[in-house]
Amino acid sequence: MSSMKQWEPPKVPCKSEMEVDNITNLPEHVIDKILSHLSLRDAVRTSVLSSKWRYKWNTLPHLVFDNQSVLVSSQDQTLVKNKLVHIVDHVLLLHSGPIQKFKLSHRDLQGVSDIDKWILFLSRGALKEFVLEIWKGHRYKLPSSIYFCQNLIHLELFNCLLRPPATFAGFKNLKSIDLQHITMDQNAFEYLISSCPLLERLTLMNFDGFTNLNIHAPNLLFFDIGGVFANVNFQDTFQLAVVSIGLYSNMGFDRNLPFGSASNLIKFFGHLPRIQRLEVQSYFLKYLTAGKVPRRLPTPCIELSFLSLRINFSDLDESLAALCLLRSSPNLHELEMLARPEEQNAARVSANIVEEGYENCPFNQLRFVKIAGISGLRQELNFIKFLLANSPVLEKMTVKPSSTDGGWELLKELMKELLRFCRASVQAQIIYLDP
Amino acid sequence: MAEADREIIKPEMMKSYIWLQTSDGSLQQVEQEVAVFCPFICHEMHSGMGSSKTYPISLPSRVSPAMLSLILDYCRFHQVPGRSNKERKSFDEKFIRMDTKRLCELTSAADSLQLKPLVDLTSRALARMIEGKTPEEIRDIFHLPDDLTEEEKLEPIKNTIDDPRIRLLNRLYARKRKELKERERLKNVEAEEECVDERSVEDLLSFINGGDADSKGVKTSKNKKKNRRRKDPQKNTSSNDTWTSNSTSSSGNAADKKESNGLDSICHEHDAAARDDLLSNLGKSLKLPNIDDSFAPDDEFDAGDLDDDIDPAMKEKIDREVEDFARRLNSDWPDRMQEILSLGQERKRILTANTCNGSLRRYARLDQQQK
Repeated sequence: MSSMKQWEPPKVPCKSEMEVDNITNLPEHVIDKILSHLSLRDAVRTSVLSSKWRYKWNTLPHLVFDNQSVLVSSQDQTLVKNKLVHIVDHVLLLHSGPIQKFKLSHRDLQGVSDIDKWILFLSRGALKEFVLEIWKGHRYKLPSSIYFCQNLIHLELFNCLLRPPATFAGFKNLKSIDLQHITMDQNAFEYLISSCPLLERLTLMNFDGFTNLNIHAPNLLFFDIGGVFANVNFQDTFQLAVVSIGLYSNMGFDRNLPFGSASNLIKFFGHLPRIQRLEVQSYFLKYLTAGKVPRRLPTPCIELSFLSLRINFSDLDESLAALCLLRSSPNLHELEMLARPEEQNAARVSANIVEEGYENCPFNQLRFVKIAGISGLRQELNFIKFLLANSPVLEKMTVKPSSTDGGWELLKELMKELLRFCRASVQAQIIYLDP
Repeated sequence: MAEADREIIKPEMMKSYIWLQTSDGSLQQVEQEVAVFCPFICHEMHSGMGSSKTYPISLPSRVSPAMLSLILDYCRFHQVPGRSNKERKSFDEKFIRMDTKRLCELTSAADSLQLKPLVDLTSRALARMIEGKTPEEIRDIFHLPDDLTEEEKLEPIKNTIDDPRIRLLNRLYARKRKELKERERLKNVEAEEECVDERSVEDLLSFINGGDADSKGVKTSKNKKKNRRRKDPQKNTSSNDTWTSNSTSSSGNAADKKESNGLDSICHEHDAAARDDLLSNLGKSLKLPNIDDSFAPDDEFDAGDLDDDIDPAMKEKIDREVEDFARRLNSDWPDRMQEILSLGQERKRILTANTCNGSLRRYARLDQQQK
């Protein structure tokens, strides 16, 4: 621990005690911390403050090059590119000490070959976090040197092409991956996931090159996916607690799976014993209906406390799947059911799920319910009635219809019905929100 | 004795206290649960210190009694587990409202006690004070000495001065000083170093382009830099609308190839094109980044290079020369261009190092004679 002189000998005589410079002699890691809260531009500007401050920014462990930190105001792509490349080159050259985080996310930069150089340079150091966002131009192909950054803990890529070399042996320390708008092939993806033993967070949005998500990651805790895929298979993800899945297109699933295999619902939840938060978005609920939808899951999701479903109420299978899920989640605390607006004519329109479908199924922990995008259909009302009747500790239910196209009559009916439904919970508030 | 008894008994109802000693020698008794919020104090306690008045925990010198009381206030609030994030945040915001002197001292004290959350809080506050302010304002707030030389300040790493002419002048100024320094040095250099001048015309023209090119045709150690950098202007000459330096070097190239033939026709041709370019480019700030490209490796992030101490007399001389230089750039560029081109041509034959102005005039006259 260095001892700090309380006061610097003043350079100008007759300086009062109050005018002493207290900041310059703070320890280096503290100055780094202060400068790291500034944009790179401001941090580098401190080099003109005084002679002692000239090189203080050099040891910044986090380098962020984005539109705030690098001001290049021009529409000319070459100009922008040159200036940006210039600046990054210089900062890297002048920098001393380890670079732990590097983020390049300038809106006007396309994928240039200089990035390869920088990645090579960074890979020779102790890089822990790497964020690369290419906002313009084609998918940028990552150089092979990135795959050998063994200290990498967080990797975030946007608009990139990943083709790991044959000698790629995984990232032994990687805990978090965020890939958006990427292209990668099937084997490479599976290998990437399975070769990162410490992986805890996986975010995947808008990907091409692969359609089967075989996730083999024993330490995974957080999984957020949105894209077009054919199936998702969790293998040994026994710690997975937060899952958010969106299937962006209706793949038109075959109702009867060829081998009479277990339904997707069962398969999906089979390897998620510890799931706590689940968001089912876009058409994923439809995906889950493939195969025979059971009444309830073989093992209930006892830890599930938050469930959000994007559902087409007119689709019988989806309604059944939703019911199955609800029945298997005894400890649900908060529920959202959001109607998918565009489909009003599903394959098997349920006139009415028979009343047994809604038998008693107590939700002893359910406190908050949000229903949105409804238009007053019978099925929707049935669900609401079901929930109200089975939630003894319900505190608040908000109901928000979709924007009306003259369906005022239907909405009036809806409101009347809502008032009529009996509620198991005495303190339940039903809040009707305007569309 | 009494303390020892207290240690053994330790009734749950009674709070235990530990003893802290600051660098000035004063002792203080603090509730244990509050003090152990600081990792430093916690470690010391585990090694047995602090339980009695005779064996207090000695705090690091950076922790003054005033700072200690502030830190303990912070700890006292935050060690209570039941507080909401909102409460903690609002406490923090009120807590750091103090003058910069105390904020710096607090940062230092918290750091020596390894109290990371408080260091984060104070660093962020200090960062907010630095953010977005001009260097003068920052120096004012933190009482930093203004001890960088003018040149160092005139060449900010990220160019915040937008007026292209000011930037140009800054660069000329810096370059001029370097040239003068070189000249001083070279007065002592052996003559043989300059005997074989096999450099092309572009080399010699680079006293316009290059940041450190010597205006005389003498080979110096700085040759390497010059050569390397000139690759940029030459690359850019493919598009005709580049900055003057590029066009001069391109004309230089052409001149070089055809040096056996009359230079004149080429001079004129390039003159016309260059003149238009130059006049239009001078006004456009957009073009100036190209200057940066060719100058910048030296100037933008120049660390030690410009740290020379020039005596005032020299400084005045430099000032005058720069003004002269700048004025000529703005007004009589075309003529100057011609001079330069002919200078390049002449340099091949005449091997002397002279002052700039005199030699140019002489070369021009010589050139006219040749025509």
